[in-house]
Amino acid sequence: MTEELRTTALGRAGGRFAKGLAYAIMIVFTAMTLYPIFWLIMNSFKATREFQVSQLALPKEPTLANYAGAWEMGDFALLFPNSLVYTVGATVGIVVVSLLAGFAFAKIGSRATKPLYNAFIIGILITAQSLMIPLFLEVNLLGIYNTRLAVLLVYIGTGLPLGVYLATEYIKSIPNALIESARIDGAGFFRIFWKIVLPMSMPVAITLSILNISNIWNEFALINILVSKTELKSLPLGIFKFSGSLSTDYGKQFAALTIGMVPMLLFYIVFRKQITKGVAAGAVKG
Amino acid sequence: MNRLRTRGEETRAYWALVLPAFSIYLLVMAFPIVLSVVLSLSDYDGGKMFGGEPWGFAGFRSYARVFADPYFWNALKNNAFIVLISVFGQLPLGFVFAYIIYRKIVKWPGFWQGVLYVPNIISVIVVGLLWQTIFSPNGPIAEVMNSMARSGFQSKLEALFSGSGGFAVTDDLVRRILDLAGPAASEWFTDPVPELKDLILSYEGAPRAELIGDLCNLFVARWSPEFLSKPNLAMMPIMFVILWMYTGMYLILFLANMQKIDTQIIEAARIDGASEWQVMRFVILPALSGTIVNSAILAISGSLSSFSLIFAMTGGGPSRVTEILSIYMYNNAFLGRPNLPLANAISLIMVVISFLLIGLTKAVEKRYGGKED
Repeated sequence: MTEELRTTALGRAGGRFAKGLAYAIMIVFTAMTLYPIFWLIMNSFKATREFQVSQLALPKEPTLANYAGAWEMGDFALLFPNSLVYTVGATVGIVVVSLLAGFAFAKIGSRATKPLYNAFIIGILITAQSLMIPLFLEVNLLGIYNTRLAVLLVYIGTGLPLGVYLATEYIKSIPNALIESARIDGAGFFRIFWKIVLPMSMPVAITLSILNISNIWNEFALINILVSKTELKSLPLGIFKFSGSLSTDYGKQFAALTIGMVPMLLFYIVFRKQITKGVAAGAVKG
Repeated sequence: MNRLRTRGEETRAYWALVLPAFSIYLLVMAFPIVLSVVLSLSDYDGGKMFGGEPWGFAGFRSYARVFADPYFWNALKNNAFIVLISVFGQLPLGFVFAYIIYRKIVKWPGFWQGVLYVPNIISVIVVGLLWQTIFSPNGPIAEVMNSMARSGFQSKLEALFSGSGGFAVTDDLVRRILDLAGPAASEWFTDPVPELKDLILSYEGAPRAELIGDLCNLFVARWSPEFLSKPNLAMMPIMFVILWMYTGMYLILFLANMQKIDTQIIEAARIDGASEWQVMRFVILPALSGTIVNSAILAISGSLSSFSLIFAMTGGGPSRVTEILSIYMYNNAFLGRPNLPLANAISLIMVVISFLLIGLTKAVEKRYGGKED
């Protein structure tokens, strides 16, 4: 019934023309979205010489040499594990720390809750990029420049405001009766967190992870000012090396860009549904 | 159970639960802001912050310098462009996509949504470097333009030669070739007609295609995306890439919130004879007003703090025309002779501007917005 009503209604409204226009819009923009990505991947299999004479054709002599070269030159064997450590470490950190605070804000009464919670909400509006200079100076002041600790702390810190907000709002929906009866049975708050809150908060934990994984994996501006040692750098920093003086070695540059792009593409293909839902849930600025 | 003991236990548990989050928040958000306020009012010039060169209060000198610097206003203008393309480009386009999918005007909703979101999950560094190459003089746009110019010139040359028949090189033919070449001819020859005639005659016996090919090489100028270095146009590619990259996110936001609308309202409106346009104007748009404001805030704060994309694409160049506030700040802190008070002043100005704009957006919503939660 609903379906039928909609189509007939539409038929009345715009008919064939509207449908054709809608398809045209969608097809043009989809092609514009995909073609540059396809072009990049395709050209990453061409030797730079072949790229210079033909950029639009499929590779005549596909080669993997660019990948070997880029892997070597970008120190990706070092940077890949680093990116993994930062992404997993900071994501787990954000989720756990946010849920802990969210539990306190949502379920334990305190006069401190209002000002503290508001501080986190305001934090959602502050983007850490605008604070990169004072952050750089602070990290130097504390003597943790060029350490994994600094990167993890900063990443956790930038993810916390939204994390605390989403966690608090979610945990509010857990029935008080569950927590009260556990209290009457003599359970402490950490036991309640572990046994009740954490398992019940899995949906929000997943949303938070989804939101943070791609952000952190792709992050550049902050880690750029936090570390300078190759052993501590992440993938985006390594890829950035392929601009400037290396940028005319197109084959290697394209391979490096593809290497940087593929992990997140795979992540997206696998978790598309959750990512889409997470993005919609996480868009709460202000 | 002893109420007092419980109360004490509660307080301790509360702080134990909140402390990790709060201390990291202080470290990463609150303290940098304080530091930034202090340093922006100081004459600190690097080195040890405590126990090194003494430094102290310097008043609002740095702010005055920022506001007097034409590069600051240029960066602010570029940021404004980005805010504009975000709010008036990404949002409407995202809305159109979402609307088309939501109203089932096209089939395969999951496909369009899935594809249009892809650029969002790619690292901005990858996106920046990719488009830098695409727009470069060695990139595909230049290649297409060049091959079009060349094939046009080539077919005109061929027409001239086939018209002349055989290999009779008359002065008339030479003149026509020169006409075709335009100003490029005077770059190569001092006395064009006889010199070009000699050149063409030297090809006698060689295949015609070789002559035509070489004449093309000689006369067809290489197209280059020079417009990218013109101050008024240099931001265009960047704005295009921002549109390319983030529109899909607003598609997702709008679609997710459209799907929350009670379909019965739409059906009822339809039965009452509302047109598609009226459904959009009076049902869907009002229901989305909250989402639209949220998205605008998201777009504003995102565009004000954007850094990496432009850092990778142009680095603020050529000759600083594409600098935005964050890059202007970065350059003041890390390039040449660092000026840290100045950089910190810029940092605070950025924070303040984004709060002002967000406040403005909220005010506009209060004044004109719909009555959605």
